[in-house]
Amino acid sequence: MTWLAMLWFLQDFVQVFLMGFFIVPNIYLMTLLLMALLPATGKERQIMIIWAAFVGGLIWDFRWTNLPGLTAALNAGLVAASCWAWQKIPAQGRTPIFFAVIVLAAMLFSGSVHFALWTVSSQVALRQFFVQQLLGVPLAIIFSLVYWKVSERNV
Amino acid sequence: MNILDRELKPWLHGAVCVLLGFCVLWAMMTFPKLHFVLVDGVNNALYYPEKPAMELRNIVKYSSNWVLERSSLQERVTRLELTNRAMSEELQKAGIKVSLPKEGKVTAKITLRYPDDWWQIFRIDRGSKDGIKEGAAVTSDGFLIGRVTRVAPNHSWVHMITSSSFLIAAAVDETRDLGVINGDDKGNLTLLYVPEERELKVGMGVSTSLMGQHVPPGIPIGKIIGSKESKDGFRPMKIQAGAHLTQLYSVEVYTGGEKKE
Repeated sequence: MTWLAMLWFLQDFVQVFLMGFFIVPNIYLMTLLLMALLPATGKERQIMIIWAAFVGGLIWDFRWTNLPGLTAALNAGLVAASCWAWQKIPAQGRTPIFFAVIVLAAMLFSGSVHFALWTVSSQVALRQFFVQQLLGVPLAIIFSLVYWKVSERNV
Repeated sequence: MNILDRELKPWLHGAVCVLLGFCVLWAMMTFPKLHFVLVDGVNNALYYPEKPAMELRNIVKYSSNWVLERSSLQERVTRLELTNRAMSEELQKAGIKVSLPKEGKVTAKITLRYPDDWWQIFRIDRGSKDGIKEGAAVTSDGFLIGRVTRVAPNHSWVHMITSSSFLIAAAVDETRDLGVINGDDKGNLTLLYVPEERELKVGMGVSTSLMGQHVPPGIPIGKIIGSKESKDGFRPMKIQAGAHLTQLYSVEVYTGGEKKE
């Protein structure tokens, strides 16, 4: 949990540093997805991760968004949904590529919901949304590589 | 958690979190005061941990802009000095005594600008401890960009001129026609209540009219770039803001030379 708090702060620092240029991709959510979907993660730990997603999202909302509760709900909901989907597919299908797809889908969904609820549709907002999504792609690849390495070690 | 784990599944916890999140969202929308208290609480708690990132950001930003801005600022200072000297000479000839202007501006950095309220509000890192008062004019590059709406000891919230709920008296520099500046939440400005028979031209400047002690008259706002369809005997004029509203990093807040609290 200390690592998660540090990661949250890292994302916050990056957002402070880049404020006005673009919205930083949700690195915190990506890490939680990685932790939740690793083969060694049990259900109890998954539940803790879901609540960590909620708390992290709520503090993020109070700091960076004008819709407190939305990121919290999205983070927790997406981690829970990913865990459910991961459980439903056969073990052979749980590949790093599928993991990357889940992470990207989560990023796109989370970003789109926020964008759809922004009260103003402006070019600035649209640019920020696109940059956030584009930056999310290399990060998702990095996270899936980490997933690949860590899950290989666990096998 | 263990008790819940024996009975429930992760997806159910997820569902509870989603519901809880929407309850929080509903509560924050229903009780805006509570929302602001919590936002300010979290922001105050993060103020010191975030300070290094904020300072680093400003160093990078100012270093990159310094070279570019220096020459244009130098030109502007020279031009203003010449104008000032000429005006002083004219006033001296006319025998009018000029009282020295009070030191009345505080430079503040923008610490939060919500994407969903991009053209409406932002937060700055100066508050009542720095002499900022509610209603104070906020400028960037010398142009009005908003007014302070809420003040805390260490930070304040600024209501931008581009907000649809923002109204401020303004005058056309060349003709002294009075009107009211209003935004549309999309980055555009309109000068309202200009009688349609008035012949205002594109390029004419618009600045603040007398609004009270916190907004001095004569702060430039922007220039006329066109007109809209007349209605009820008035022709709204389209205004282009003088400040770069999409690239705001630091602003000046008018304090009127009053002492810090």
